[in-house]
Amino acid sequence: MKKALSILLVLVLMVGLLAGCGDKTGTGTPVSPPSGSGTSTPAKTAEEGKVFNIYAWNEEFKGFFEKYYTVPEGITVNWIITPSDGGAYQEKLDAALLAQESASPDEKVDLFLAEADYILKYVESDLTMDVSTIGVTAAPTMYQYTVQAASDSQGRMKGVSFQCCPAAVIYRRSIAKDVLGTDDPAKVQEAISDWDKFDAVAAKAKEKGYYMTASYVETYRTFSNNCSMPWVDANNKLQFDPMILAYLKQAKEYLEKGYTLPAGIWDDEKNQQMFATGKTMCFFGPAWYYNFCMGNAMDPEKGCSGDWAIVQGPQAYFWGGTWLLAPAGTDNPTMLKDIMDTFTINEEVCSKLVENEMQFSNNTKVNQKFADDPNYGNEFLGGQNDTAVFVELAKNIKFEHKTQYDQLLNEQLPGVFLDYFLGNITEDQAYANYYQYVNEKYPAIITPDEA
Amino acid sequence: MVSYVYLKHNAVNRKARLTLSLYRAAVYAVLIFLTILCLFSFYLLFVNSTRSNAQLQAGFRILPQENFLNNLVNAWNDVSISIPVGLKNSFFIAFLTAALTTYFSALTAFGIHAYNFKGRNFAFVFIMAVMMIPPQVGAVGFIQICFKLKLTNNYLPLILPSIAAPIVFFYMKQYMESVLSLEIVEAARCDGSNEFSTFNRIVLPIIRPAIAVQAIFSFVGSWNNYFIPALLLDKAERKTVPIMIAQLRSADYSKFDMGKVYMFILLAILPVIIVYVFLSKFIIKGVQAGAIKG
Amino acid sequence: MPRQIEENIAIRRHRSVSYAKWGYLFIAPFFIVYILCTLIPQFLTVYNSFFESYMDGLKQVGPNYVGIKNYIALFTPDSNGVIGIIKYTQNTLIIWILGAVPQFVIAMLLALFFTSYRLNIKGQPFFKSVIYLPNLIMASAFAMLFFTLFSNVGPVNQLLLQTGIIDQTFDFFRSKVSVRLLIALMNFLMWFGNTTILFMAGIMGIDQELFESATIDGANSTQVFFRITLPLLMPIVVYAIITAMIGGLQMFDVPQVLTNRLGNPDRTALTLVMYLNSYLTPSKNYGMSGAVSMYLFIITAFLSMIVYRSMIRQGTSSRR
Repeated sequence: MKKALSILLVLVLMVGLLAGCGDKTGTGTPVSPPSGSGTSTPAKTAEEGKVFNIYAWNEEFKGFFEKYYTVPEGITVNWIITPSDGGAYQEKLDAALLAQESASPDEKVDLFLAEADYILKYVESDLTMDVSTIGVTAAPTMYQYTVQAASDSQGRMKGVSFQCCPAAVIYRRSIAKDVLGTDDPAKVQEAISDWDKFDAVAAKAKEKGYYMTASYVETYRTFSNNCSMPWVDANNKLQFDPMILAYLKQAKEYLEKGYTLPAGIWDDEKNQQMFATGKTMCFFGPAWYYNFCMGNAMDPEKGCSGDWAIVQGPQAYFWGGTWLLAPAGTDNPTMLKDIMDTFTINEEVCSKLVENEMQFSNNTKVNQKFADDPNYGNEFLGGQNDTAVFVELAKNIKFEHKTQYDQLLNEQLPGVFLDYFLGNITEDQAYANYYQYVNEKYPAIITPDEA
Repeated sequence: MVSYVYLKHNAVNRKARLTLSLYRAAVYAVLIFLTILCLFSFYLLFVNSTRSNAQLQAGFRILPQENFLNNLVNAWNDVSISIPVGLKNSFFIAFLTAALTTYFSALTAFGIHAYNFKGRNFAFVFIMAVMMIPPQVGAVGFIQICFKLKLTNNYLPLILPSIAAPIVFFYMKQYMESVLSLEIVEAARCDGSNEFSTFNRIVLPIIRPAIAVQAIFSFVGSWNNYFIPALLLDKAERKTVPIMIAQLRSADYSKFDMGKVYMFILLAILPVIIVYVFLSKFIIKGVQAGAIKG
Repeated sequence: MPRQIEENIAIRRHRSVSYAKWGYLFIAPFFIVYILCTLIPQFLTVYNSFFESYMDGLKQVGPNYVGIKNYIALFTPDSNGVIGIIKYTQNTLIIWILGAVPQFVIAMLLALFFTSYRLNIKGQPFFKSVIYLPNLIMASAFAMLFFTLFSNVGPVNQLLLQTGIIDQTFDFFRSKVSVRLLIALMNFLMWFGNTTILFMAGIMGIDQELFESATIDGANSTQVFFRITLPLLMPIVVYAIITAMIGGLQMFDVPQVLTNRLGNPDRTALTLVMYLNSYLTPSKNYGMSGAVSMYLFIITAFLSMIVYRSMIRQGTSSRR
């Protein structure tokens, strides 16, 4: 018995070790079935690779892809998904791109997704390919800022965006009525059309017992989107744009005066404010935010659906948006072009994105169609046509002065300064902590205490 | 041995017996308090896995709600994060790790315990010294080597190092010192058994409790290991459970389902608890026996 | 010496020499794997620490030899005069001690309770299994649960408000003391079961006659504990403390998840391994992380030495 057991053990070990060795390829997650109503024509696949590898940080695009795109016969689509938390996605992506040349055809990266915060790093590098070489050009229906974002300093476009996310101020109608006397979007916009006015309204809201925002991080992105200089200068020295300094000032003031809460963007404390019993007047976010992330506000019993509306607010900005980038050396260029066209210039697919998926597509013509439609409105917003608002807003969005360091510099700045906002440490200490953080994440940047 | 102590106390007067009862009650109170503390997190995990995302966002609740099956189905069938695959992978790695660690640590301990060879003391001291070095010291270099050798998405770098586990070795050595006398080995030699077979057939069964103890420790350690696997495994079908759990919490707004997350965690912990319940008898016996002088 | 015995010794020696090669054989796998998988990487880490090597976006900077520049950077004060690595060492040790003291005291008490015949505690297998359970839960899941429990709108705050103990929500994650205590609490819960069983094993290994003769001599339980139990238990206590300390210095999962990687407030919950890890992602800064690793190693060895020396001295002095 014991002998049999030990032989068995050895066998299991051997089988285990042998099975564990070797990197199995091509056994990816299920192939996307050619279902759905996409009207894209299957690409010619004769000379191209059999495996199409897509790198992304979440499932979102996968969902659209499987619904609206027909994968050509014989091609297996592999999704390599790594969450973007703390830069993990970029690491995996970088490793794969750097190995692209020596990778086998089935392992080559064929398409990868990127966000605005770090798109520059890839666009500027030789690891992405000029998409004009595969027949993709900047269509007149694309929003200018998305083209800008995807182009390198020589103007070569390296990819396209299928999803624009202009972001607005989402305000509570009933609270606005109490504080401003009106809930009409045009009048509300007038009252908060710049930061000084916004601050004044915050003070008024406080008097009536309301919070202006539910998170001290709420407005950060609005400021950071509208900077006039990049995070580092030509010598890689860290520099703080006046907009960032303005945010620091506002966050400290708002927390001191009780205009906002010391909660993070996704914290429970902020989410609780979305109920009917919530006392917050403004939330900041794009369509996907109020369609998917304000669940408490949509709660049938405790929510307040319909008691909301959107306006541009003090400054136009965007939050999110996904770009499809072309890696150099892909072995599936035709399918790549097809995918890119499908989600940008194919009007049927883009309309479906707006209608069914509540997205804001990168097609001005399609968006305008919905904006002009008098019957198109959002119930949550009391019937307001949000696409119309965004179509106007999108014209003012800027994408300038980006660096490859933006993602982590922006991601944690409010968190690092929170102790200072709450008065627990001095401003100098907060800056010292931030420099320390920058040195850990991006050693190439020269912080003021290193100069 | 027991009887003497009991006799003495039976002769003690009533007052002392009352104090004893009070003392005992206090001890039970402390034990129950600690039990609640320990079990509370598991209970909370269970409760949260019975609630939908909307219910969870609405606030905290101490009683379970009705979405257990819902969450279970969602979690089990999640296409991108396949928990069945993760469980399989984690189990494979943890099982092999536990097997290799216990076997080779016992082998090494036996080697040092039973044989008198030159450098034996040096080997022992060396291993003890090695025990003091935190694993992070080598982790960075290890990752570098793995990348260079293209050993990503491969379980070999996760399993192989478990053969050299100084702490487990130390425990096995101590255990052998107290329960394993060399006469048994001598006897086996006389019977014509070779050393290797002696080890497998005779020594291993004797130190069974020790093996059980260390097996569960290393199984759990490997199961919960996140740091290095996260850096080496990125293909969906190769990921282990902790990596998948970390992946769940990324801000995927459209699929943000905390109910599913908690269910995932519950499913992730269940196998460990099952293995633990099976082996817990051995653990207690093994740890206790390890210290009783032979 | 009688000739028969001489012969026996000679035979034994002969026998043990001829079996020596088995000794080598049996310990070989351990050493081979160790050298390959641990020693070489460790040397690599040390080697790296003398180079400047990191990623700037998609570009690799270095490796350039820079001598001890990384170590100097490690000990350079920031613009506020704070030396990071000293602060993080303090953090790590403070949090560890906050958890370790209750862990050892309660483990010892429980071990005494369980092994006491007078008390005759029932249901021991149940209790012993239960106190072990927290060790099984994944640190990240555990931290997530605590995060929910102690948030500003979580049940703990609600309870405190309702019972009137506080009149304003207490932000558990913005106070240095509370964050450290929370981490210590989690560490305590995860490890005290382990330590209890360890001590129990030790106590049960002590010869019962010693206890009996002490009781005959009229010693009460406190005297028995401090004069007999504790000194005899010393080797196990030392083992427990040293292994706990080594583990404590490597504290990572719990504070990492609880403070969302920042170690806040004001970096007072940032442990040494969190610091090491922050150099690895995203910039793969092998130079700096190598330096931190070396520092961690030296501190571990140094502290272990101190604990070992001081406790052994104490142990031998209290023995008659």
